[in-house]
Amino acid sequence: MQTPKGTKDYLPPEVERHRYVEQRLREVFKLWGYQEIRSPAIELVEVLSTGVGSELIDSMFKFQDFDGKIVALRAEMTAPAARIVTTKMLEAPRPIRLFYICNVFRYSQSYLEREREFWQAGVELIGCNTPGADGEVLALLASSLEKLGLEGVRIDVGHAGLLKDLLRATGLDEEKKVVLQNLLGYRDEDQLEKFMDQNNFSSQLREAFLRLSRCRRLEELSSVALEPLKYRRIKDYLRALLEVKDSLVKYGVENLVFFDFSLVRKIEYYTGIVFEASVPNLGLPLGGGGRYDNLIEKFGKVKIPATGFAVEIEKCLQALTSQGFQPLEKRKVLVASRFRDSAIKAVEAIRDAGVTALLDMTRGARKKVLDYAKLSGINYVVFVGSSFEKSATIHDTRLETVTNMRIKAFLQSLEDDQR
Amino acid sequence: MKRKIRIALPSKGRLNQPSIQVLQEAGINILRKERTYISKTSDPRFEAIFARAFDVPIYVQYGAADLGITGHDVILERKADVHELLDLGFGKCQLIVAVPENSGIRSIDDIPAVARVATEYPNLCQEYFESVEKQVEVLVVRGTAELAPKLGLAQTIVDITETGETLRRNKLKIVATILNSTCRLACNRIAYRVFESEINELLGKLRNGGASKK
Repeated sequence: MQTPKGTKDYLPPEVERHRYVEQRLREVFKLWGYQEIRSPAIELVEVLSTGVGSELIDSMFKFQDFDGKIVALRAEMTAPAARIVTTKMLEAPRPIRLFYICNVFRYSQSYLEREREFWQAGVELIGCNTPGADGEVLALLASSLEKLGLEGVRIDVGHAGLLKDLLRATGLDEEKKVVLQNLLGYRDEDQLEKFMDQNNFSSQLREAFLRLSRCRRLEELSSVALEPLKYRRIKDYLRALLEVKDSLVKYGVENLVFFDFSLVRKIEYYTGIVFEASVPNLGLPLGGGGRYDNLIEKFGKVKIPATGFAVEIEKCLQALTSQGFQPLEKRKVLVASRFRDSAIKAVEAIRDAGVTALLDMTRGARKKVLDYAKLSGINYVVFVGSSFEKSATIHDTRLETVTNMRIKAFLQSLEDDQR
Repeated sequence: MKRKIRIALPSKGRLNQPSIQVLQEAGINILRKERTYISKTSDPRFEAIFARAFDVPIYVQYGAADLGITGHDVILERKADVHELLDLGFGKCQLIVAVPENSGIRSIDDIPAVARVATEYPNLCQEYFESVEKQVEVLVVRGTAELAPKLGLAQTIVDITETGETLRRNKLKIVATILNSTCRLACNRIAYRVFESEINELLGKLRNGGASKK
């Protein structure tokens, strides 16, 4: 009896770690004024397919509903969020700040084993197309990952519109565009120059590609000069990126942010900046996002610009683990007594103090109770007598020490330890 | 947050020695100790691991290794999303379709519909036959595809050949070439950003060390 390929059970320790990441992220998102939404895991395939591109559509689990309609499991949350905004929140004052933490499903046909169900936490800032909005989302991403305790976070930023327009300006066929994109990704300047010579790039376009692929920081973009008339849109994109940089400086996170002209995301709806977050000790991105100004109108004819990101909880956990992170363990107390009355009073008193307390069910021999506690990761075993007011025997399962004290004093000592 | 840059090398086979050598020429000597799976190198910034050539692309894609040396054919077969930074020039080979010499088959067109094909490269094999609109049954074998026709497992094989010697010895002839391959330096996408200067320095040395330029 196993779970289907690419899915898994989470046993208590894993859930605990998972929850740690979720809760931290939820706290930060809420502090920034983002409000949580939930949506069904199953939606009509048309909704989920809107604007996302064929690669993601191919990866969706699809099946037929009773009425013959094709439904699918959500593969990401931006399309459902866009649907929610267009159908239920059109009257809401903008910008709308939304977040979600939920499971998504992707069927991967590739050779590689991959999770087919995984958890994403993400935000959408809807109704605002200013560089300041992109700045907020980037700063929130940086802050979220740092609040998780991750070190060495970096965010690489590209621009979907900038790359698309420049690729279009080359007049190359699709196949050659892919070659060019690969060369940009490899950052191999010699090869890039050779390719541009072979394909008769104008000197202006040549210069633009070379300079952009040399830029590693957003501020370096100010050195990229283009004739204003022909490439007006491209100039606007560059200006916007520089303004994003200004807002990152104000947030004090500009050091974490890099520019990568070649950066593309696999989902198609992005129109403006796109980005990926990573740490040096994990070879896959923790998550990413970008601006999607044309997606929401596809759901309801109202053009609403938006920007957002999602991170994968599991990836964040892997990164934390490889950085040696240990979640703070909460202490647990097991209360045992031949007198059920005083045992229950004791557990209640301990729980009232905010400490996890379990009641011994066996009423067995001390040794058995202690063995159970050790195996279950319980820190203290408290043996109470006929009255819980009286002194109790307290076993510390790790230090293997035994002390006699009253419950109140014990709780006080726990509190002192915590400080 | 700086850590060592990890290079994955083929642990055995025809790519093993040249891979070690090409790194040596670039100034990275592998200090190989028996029974340790991570080897130190003479350059304190780099460490090496040895893996099956077929698995190197996966190590690199998932960042278990930042860099990897393996065949272009294998990178394509594993559909690995990695940067191929440099053609190292050695390990030249071809992925070919072969059939027994004494069979009447002279070209791909003669291969019967629903033929069985034995291969170590199921993805590339499938893609190739789809591209020539042939329906085939792909049987995945490990290592010795050339035995398949002899033993009656499959008449057709898709396999790697360097000189054609093994094919001749097994009385097989080539009816099509699917791709030409050489050994590549593959790089994890994130590692390329994080360690750009170190990796570029290595690339420069590898180029000067004689690896042919792409």
